[in-house]
Amino acid sequence: MKPKHKKNSWKQWLLILCCLFLTACTPGGISADRQGGGSRETQTISLADIPEYSGEPYIVLNGNEPDFPKSEWNLQSFEQYGELDSLGRCSTAYANVGTDLMPTEKRGSIGQVKPTGWQTVKYDIVDGKYLYNRCHLIGYQLSGENANDKNLITGTRYMNVEGMLPFENMVADYVKETGNHVLYRVTPVFREDNLLADGVQMEAFSVEDEGEGIAYNVYVYNVQPGIQIDYATGESSLDASGTSKAETSEGDIRGNSRSKIYHCPGQAAYEEMADSKYLVIFETEQEAQEAGYRKAKR
Amino acid sequence: MIIIACVDDRNGMMFNNRRQSRDSVVCEDILLECRGKKLYMSPYSGKLFGEAEGADIRISEDILNEAGKGDACFVEETETAGFEEYIGKVILYKWNRRYPADRQFSLDLSDGSWELKRTEEFQGSSHEKVTKEVYERIR
Repeated sequence: MKPKHKKNSWKQWLLILCCLFLTACTPGGISADRQGGGSRETQTISLADIPEYSGEPYIVLNGNEPDFPKSEWNLQSFEQYGELDSLGRCSTAYANVGTDLMPTEKRGSIGQVKPTGWQTVKYDIVDGKYLYNRCHLIGYQLSGENANDKNLITGTRYMNVEGMLPFENMVADYVKETGNHVLYRVTPVFREDNLLADGVQMEAFSVEDEGEGIAYNVYVYNVQPGIQIDYATGESSLDASGTSKAETSEGDIRGNSRSKIYHCPGQAAYEEMADSKYLVIFETEQEAQEAGYRKAKR
Repeated sequence: MIIIACVDDRNGMMFNNRRQSRDSVVCEDILLECRGKKLYMSPYSGKLFGEAEGADIRISEDILNEAGKGDACFVEETETAGFEEYIGKVILYKWNRRYPADRQFSLDLSDGSWELKRTEEFQGSSHEKVTKEVYERIR
C-alpha cells in the first residue's frame, strides 16, 4: 500500500475552515477546497484573478511559483485525496510523485465513476466526439489511480488533452528520467454550487533540485471551444461561434508558418496575413491547433 | 554552424525557464553526433551534460556568436533568431510528446531553405520514441 500523509494539524484544519468560510462569503468567490492539500495556509485563487478564457488552455498564476512550503520538501512519496463535499464534488488531490508511486500495470476501467456534472454528450467539432472526459486530478501516469471518485472530475476533452495532459507529461517524464520527486497538487475550482468545475489549479515543484527541474503554478480552463456549457449542471450546446466554425469555409483561418500563430477574421493581423509568404490556410481553429499553431492574442 | 535542439509536438522547447524534458540517451546521441567538433552550450545546458568524457564542450553565455563554421550549438533557452544565415545544419530531437511551452524553436524549417536529409527513431531512457531529424540548408 502506498504511504499516505496525514499532515493536517487542528490548527491547519481551523485555518482551512476559516478560509472556506471567507471564500463562501465573498461575492464571486469560488470553491477551491484545499482539504487534503497539505499544509497550505490561506492562499486561494479568486475568480477576480482569473480572466475569461481567451484562446489559451491555461494561464500562469503567481508568476508560475507554486505554493509548497519548505517543510514539505521531502523525499517520501505519497498521494492523498480530499473528501468529496456535500454536493459530491472533488476537492484537492496532492501527491509527492516518485517512481515508486507510478503505475506498473495497464490502466483499468474508470467508467463506473460518474463525477458531478457528468453528461454523456457528443459533438462533431470535439476531438474524439465526446465533450466530457473523466479527468484525473492526479493523472494515471503519475499515481496509478484508476476508479477513485476523489480523483476524477468532469472535464472537457479540451481541458483534459490540451490543458492538463502536457503538464502531467512534463512531471511524469522528469520523474522517470531523474528518479527525483515532484510535489504535485491539483485543485478543482467550483463556482458556488455548480456541479462542473470552472477549471483546475495545477502546481508542481521538483524536490531534490529545489524546483530547478519543475516549477509551475497554472490555472487550466474547463472549456471547450465552440461549445457553451452550463456549469451548474454540465448541460451544453453548440454556441454561435461553434456553429460558425463548423460552417467555416476554406481560407477563413490564416496561420503564420514562421511564428506558428493563427489569426481569425476580425483579429488585428488577419488582413496583413493575406499577402504574407508565411501564410498557411486552415479550415478550422481546431485544425490549426492540431498543427501546432496557437491563436493570436489580439 | 550546426544547431541542435529538442522539441515537443508543437515545436516547444522551454516552459517557465525550464527545459520541457530530458533524456540521457538523447544526450549520448548528441555527443556522438558532435564527436570531433566543438559543442557549444549555455551554463544551464552544461549541467545536463556534466563532465562528458571525450567531448569538446564549450560553455558560454553567448554561444551563437562564439561558435564558428562547423561548430555545433545545443540550444535550449538560446534564441536563434538573427543568426539564420550562419546556420547550415539543424539536428532536431523530437520527444513525440506534448508539454507546456512558452519558448518555441523559432527557425522555420519549412520555408524552402532546408532539406530533410536523415530521420532516425530510437527509444530513449524515459521516452518511448524519440525522432531525430537532420536538416541541411539548400539555399
